[in-house]
Amino acid sequence: MSPKIPTRRQFLSAGMTLAGAGLIDLSWSDIAAAAEHADHMAQAGAASLAPTGFATLSAAEAVEVEAIASQIIPGGDMPGALEAGVIYFIDRALGTFFAAELPAFRRGLANFQRDFAAHSSTATPFSAVGSARQRAWLHEVDATPFFNTVRRLTLLGLIALPKYGGNRDRLGWKLIGFEDRHFWQPPFGHYDADYPGFEPYPGTKTWTA
Amino acid sequence: MATRKYKTSETVDFVIVGSGAAGGIMARELSMAGNSVVVMEQGPRMAPGQFEHDELKYRQLSGITNNPVLNPQTFRNDPAKPAVREGRNSLTYARVVGGSSVHFTANFWRFHEIDFNERSVLGPISGTGFADWPISYSELEPYYTKVEWEIGVSGLAGASPFDPPRSKPYPMPPLPVKSSGVLFERGARKLGLHPFPAPMAIASVPYRGRAACVQCGLCNGFGCEVMAKSSSVWTMIPEAEATGKCEVRAESYVFRVGMNARGRATGVHYFDADRKEQFQKARAVVVCANGSETPRLLLNSATDAFPSGLANSSGVVGKYLMFNQGGGAQALFEHPLNEYKGVAVTRILHDYYDVDPKRGYYGGGGLDARAAAPLGWGQNVPAGVPRWGDGFKDYLEAYTRSMSVSGHATSLALETNRVDIDPELKDAWGMPAMRVTYKDHPDDLKFAAFLRDRAVEVLDAAGAKLIEPGDVSERRGGVHLLGTCRMGDDPQSSVIDKYHRTHDVKNLFLCDGSSFVTSGRGQPTMTIEALAFRAGEHIARFAKANEI
Repeated sequence: MSPKIPTRRQFLSAGMTLAGAGLIDLSWSDIAAAAEHADHMAQAGAASLAPTGFATLSAAEAVEVEAIASQIIPGGDMPGALEAGVIYFIDRALGTFFAAELPAFRRGLANFQRDFAAHSSTATPFSAVGSARQRAWLHEVDATPFFNTVRRLTLLGLIALPKYGGNRDRLGWKLIGFEDRHFWQPPFGHYDADYPGFEPYPGTKTWTA
Repeated sequence: MATRKYKTSETVDFVIVGSGAAGGIMARELSMAGNSVVVMEQGPRMAPGQFEHDELKYRQLSGITNNPVLNPQTFRNDPAKPAVREGRNSLTYARVVGGSSVHFTANFWRFHEIDFNERSVLGPISGTGFADWPISYSELEPYYTKVEWEIGVSGLAGASPFDPPRSKPYPMPPLPVKSSGVLFERGARKLGLHPFPAPMAIASVPYRGRAACVQCGLCNGFGCEVMAKSSSVWTMIPEAEATGKCEVRAESYVFRVGMNARGRATGVHYFDADRKEQFQKARAVVVCANGSETPRLLLNSATDAFPSGLANSSGVVGKYLMFNQGGGAQALFEHPLNEYKGVAVTRILHDYYDVDPKRGYYGGGGLDARAAAPLGWGQNVPAGVPRWGDGFKDYLEAYTRSMSVSGHATSLALETNRVDIDPELKDAWGMPAMRVTYKDHPDDLKFAAFLRDRAVEVLDAAGAKLIEPGDVSERRGGVHLLGTCRMGDDPQSSVIDKYHRTHDVKNLFLCDGSSFVTSGRGQPTMTIEALAFRAGEHIARFAKANEI
């Protein structure tokens, strides 16, 4: 047979989802402390979308990183990284469970800014130029380790529990359609709503206790 | 009830290293037989309420698993090259009372008859350690049944035409089918295949004092806060402790097996929660530390009498490491499936379980329907999907319409694939760290590609709108840690005998994934647990006869 496959892109199997994190050294108390602090900082900055009240990044760094994150997951009809307060997750993560990545992150950001300035022949920072110019530059650098780090942190900040500082008002979950409940009952989705039950195969005999 | 506490100076009958799938059963069987038992567990003991729905902590931050900084490993795919430390550990397991049975997905397939005697049926495979087990399916069948009834497995006996013989049905009916299961069944039946309800070690109805599953959707990588998942910590450990003969000593990291001049194990050296060195005396030691930590412990326990590692006169301790290869595919459908609800897997098929010589290569396996949790979904983006911007956002918004068909298959035993000791790297306790060497046999990759193509066919027949064939690439690690202290009759080519006693040390026993001779077709925990029930029975018999 010839299955209809619009694309043949490589796709990791669901069984590989344990992969993806970087070098991490933390204990449960580290995680709990990070979550508590991130929640506090997020609350402090929740009054407006302007990034304020950071523990790790400077305000200037945060503005730049948030601008990148906002292009990675843009706003629109559905919320994006800005609306979900992803920058607060990034700030807290780089101060706690991803602290080992902070020096490289800072160097990456500095290089990003330097290269953008050289490329655009302007002193205007990345965060202050128009969206089209931002996207154009990100296409130039989206294979760099720094961009990949921002991308990973943006995704984690969008979907991880709100207690870590991002996913403000559960907007990340709203985007992906995830509903946060601790229990469910069937039907779970469209296709199991009218399942008629398992039909045994000819020659087999099912057996129950 | 206050549980029994032993002094380290007391000589208990058994020290069991590890409290997971095998260790929990071993503790229960040996203590119910009247033996005094101390179970050593590296990780903490957690109450049900401490398990949270926190994907960041559990799946990204090593919340309950070995930590790449505290418990580092090195990896290489070529034994001629130096192994290097990477951002992630190659081998992953849980460090918590209950071990990896706490965070497993709970797929509980029995092995089939062929898994035990495939070498005799097919003949040798050049360059591999392909061998028969010293036991047969029929010998293990009563213990598979014991797992299903004592631990608690839900399923429908007789549903698969390929099922091996069984003496009893499952004690609980299958769990409710999800949309992924319905679509998988629909597509597979159209192709003439035989999908059936997945056997899962999760209570579908209240069972032996535990609650039924509440379908929270977070099994794979998570502990179960309602105790419906049949983890050792909710099943066997409490029964062991209820005997009044068993102490579970959490945060106790065994780093060496004690030996005397007569070549007998005397107990275990361990670090307590304060990282102070302690020694627990015992008449016998049973190591159930998983397929990576068990060989590491033996190799780190070398003495003048055992210079290449304890129980390693064969030289095969740590060798023949196997995972389970397998390809798959992901797909989008028109309507929401909401795969974040319910248990991970509800339908599987075994039509490709047996090797087909017409393919021209070795390999067998099964397929199942499943999906990733949200953070996993967001990070494992197909290579052709935009990685940022509006296209990436569109991908994220498709989460509820997605599912996977995953293959679970054989990995051939190769002597060069191994766990041993890194010559330089130490863990946070100063003990030599694991070095992992692994490269798939070409047949494993060919069969994984075969299963990937079958997964695509099933998804297509199910009416998927978009199908993304999975990447079939060489494994660099895994969670099924198998074969590293293989069982066998010949002391020159195996580490333990058919009763799990090491060939070299009379009162040292090993039982976990390391005991496997072949990999099976995935989902090894059911067989690890059946082996543990069988080994526990025999070891208790040896103890009673003063033969340890």
